[in-house]
Amino acid sequence: MLLIHCPYCDEARPEVEFAYGGEAHIARPVDPSTYSDEQWEEFLYIRSNPRGRHHERWRHTHGCGRFFNAVRDTVSDVFETTYKAGEARK
Amino acid sequence: MVEIAEIAVSAAELKLGTEPVQGAGVRLSLAEGKVRYSMRARDPKVLEGVLGREVPKRIGGTDAGIACLGPDEWYVVLPDNFDLPRGEGLPVSVVDVSSRALGLVLEGPGALAVLCSGCPLDLAKMGVGRATRTVFETVEVVIWREAEDRWHVEVWRSFATWLWNAFLAAMPDAK
Ligand SMILES: [Zn+2]
Repeated sequence: MLLIHCPYCDEARPEVEFAYGGEAHIARPVDPSTYSDEQWEEFLYIRSNPRGRHHERWRHTHGCGRFFNAVRDTVSDVFETTYKAGEARK
Repeated sequence: MVEIAEIAVSAAELKLGTEPVQGAGVRLSLAEGKVRYSMRARDPKVLEGVLGREVPKRIGGTDAGIACLGPDEWYVVLPDNFDLPRGEGLPVSVVDVSSRALGLVLEGPGALAVLCSGCPLDLAKMGVGRATRTVFETVEVVIWREAEDRWHVEVWRSFATWLWNAFLAAMPDAK
């Protein structure tokens, strides 16, 4: 079973309690109406999809309910670290 | 008009027992006569001001019927004569959710094994007086370790019948 460390609960918890939330650190545009179609497409759909270190959002859905960020290796599936939402990119 | 398919299990099998069931080393019963509240507050001090009492701050901690489930979320299970103040006008949410969930109680030295049959947490390491939201199989529950051998499990009522039967299935020699 894959264990994920929740930075709010400060505990390693089973993966089934969590929900994946896509790539992290993608800021929602403050004023989308000023965006061109290309910029809007970029915001909605274009993701980095790296091989290796990936910054991503997770939610401890069946636990404390909080969104947080994680760095996970997309090849080995190993979680390098997790940190609270709002903290700087690691 | 939408037709709802019949469930594939007979009603006789899917009975939520109101009578306690005794198995080898474990007893399953329904916790009756409870009120439940869901409380949210960004600042616990404001909530404490509304309630006139302290709330546990550490996630997983409990204090006299109040469990801290998340950094801004508390779940309350109290005897049904309790009525908490709602804190109107203040940045808190105190909502009566009594009808949303039921409490199932597992007691006895065999209770831990019944819970572990479907819960992925290492519950043996969970301290007495701790509570947490988690899952049993795929059903969300709040597990509350009230004593060494007494576990209170809160479950949304539409899942309660299933959970009751899942516990029964994991109880040795249940009758
Ligand atoms: Zn958590």
